[in-house]
Amino acid sequence: MKWNTLLINMALLACSIHASADDSINVQQNLPNVYEQHMQRMKNNWASLIPTHFLIQNAGNMGVFSVGLGWSYGKRHQWETDLLFGYIPKHDSSRGKLTSTIKGNYIPWSICMNPHGDWTTKGKWNFEPLTTSLYINTVYGHEFWKTQPGRYPDKYYEFMSTKFRLNIAIGQRLTLVIPKNKRRLHNRVSLFYEVGTCDLYVRSMFQTNIPLKDILGLSIGLKFYTQ
Amino acid sequence: MSNRKIKLIVFAVLSNCLITSCEGAFDIHPYDVNIKGETGINARQIAAIEKQFTNKDTLRVAFISDTHLWLSDARDQVADVNKRHVDFVVHCGDLTDTSTSKEFEWSRDILLDLKVPFVALIGNHDFLGTGDQAYEVMYGPMDFSFIASRVKFVCLNTNATEYDYLAAVPNFDFMEEEMVKNTSLFDRTILVMHAPPYSDQFNNNVCKAFRRYLDFFPGLMFCVYGHNHSDAVSDIYHDGLIFYGIDCAQHRNYRIFTITPDGYEVEHITY
Repeated sequence: MKWNTLLINMALLACSIHASADDSINVQQNLPNVYEQHMQRMKNNWASLIPTHFLIQNAGNMGVFSVGLGWSYGKRHQWETDLLFGYIPKHDSSRGKLTSTIKGNYIPWSICMNPHGDWTTKGKWNFEPLTTSLYINTVYGHEFWKTQPGRYPDKYYEFMSTKFRLNIAIGQRLTLVIPKNKRRLHNRVSLFYEVGTCDLYVRSMFQTNIPLKDILGLSIGLKFYTQ
Repeated sequence: MSNRKIKLIVFAVLSNCLITSCEGAFDIHPYDVNIKGETGINARQIAAIEKQFTNKDTLRVAFISDTHLWLSDARDQVADVNKRHVDFVVHCGDLTDTSTSKEFEWSRDILLDLKVPFVALIGNHDFLGTGDQAYEVMYGPMDFSFIASRVKFVCLNTNATEYDYLAAVPNFDFMEEEMVKNTSLFDRTILVMHAPPYSDQFNNNVCKAFRRYLDFFPGLMFCVYGHNHSDAVSDIYHDGLIFYGIDCAQHRNYRIFTITPDGYEVEHITY
């Protein structure tokens, strides 16, 4: 009976050793897995911050030209967020100025121009008949204020800021999807134009009788997509 | 030449044509101080005034003010002034509402429809952003003077609040110079400003000092100001010196002064 008990105990011990050994192996195998999963998740999260496109654009109440980067998202890449930095030349003022802009675009439609074309050698041409944009521009310089400084009577310039401008624009785009074997830095290139205006000009329209063309401005740009 | 090169050249030429044909259609920034069209207006108009009215007996001067964005009213105002046989026009400031370059161009283009010479002062609204720089390019220095019919018109920038009261506004040095400059060419003085003493824009700490300085101007007749958007005739200092307040364009009235060798008459015009 004693031998029996001893044998069972030894067997159980052996099992437990095996079990515990198995556990420790599992732990050793799981530890880097959790870490790797975490790293993968983190890499994916940070990767989503990699810009999907770069752009250059003139005018648009952001400066004589602006350069920037952006992210497109949505099933058909129909949403875009751009971050732009612009330069206003000196003109007749005391110095040149820098501006920065955060811009949201919505592109509802994309029409293929050459559905039967040879996409693999000549590329695919897409026409986007409407783009809509809303953007906020900031101009840097001590002359411009976010809200009215204390020197003014209360609520004197309550309606405005000289630093921030809210702009709206609509436009069109022509996109070339570059054939895979010809891609170097980009997979798509878009040429676009926009017609837009800013909050102060819209306000002028409501205040007085001025022709619409006086408050609208044209802007032309290029977008280089990497994704 | 390869096909690709030709295409590139065609594209470059086309885009060049497009960009040059759209010159002016590109909006760089509301505060870009990129003034298109006429600049340096006051100096040129003053030269015309001083040439035309050196020895004229009777002078008819229209004072208008505060155009802001009431451009339709301003157009009617200019049309009305053109009918009333005045010699020249003085705009008492606030040519714009938010000082954008476009607004400066809009109000200037309306004023350029005047058939007679005009000068314009800077108002507090013309200082927003880089508006003061746009004013200086389009019109000239903020303090200026000219002589017509032996009357000196001294036009002063009184918008001290715009400088946080740190600048020489009103500029007493300029006033001192004007008291003694070309005294052989004038016997009387009219003072023009945008913001009157004791208003929210004037440096009210120097209101009384300002009044004392006015006494040194030869034959001071009266003062004219804008800013308050109301037509007013008041003896601000209670000492007999009359300040005429010119109404804004929206209220559709202004004043014409007829200056004779013996004195002056004031007409209140509504249109």
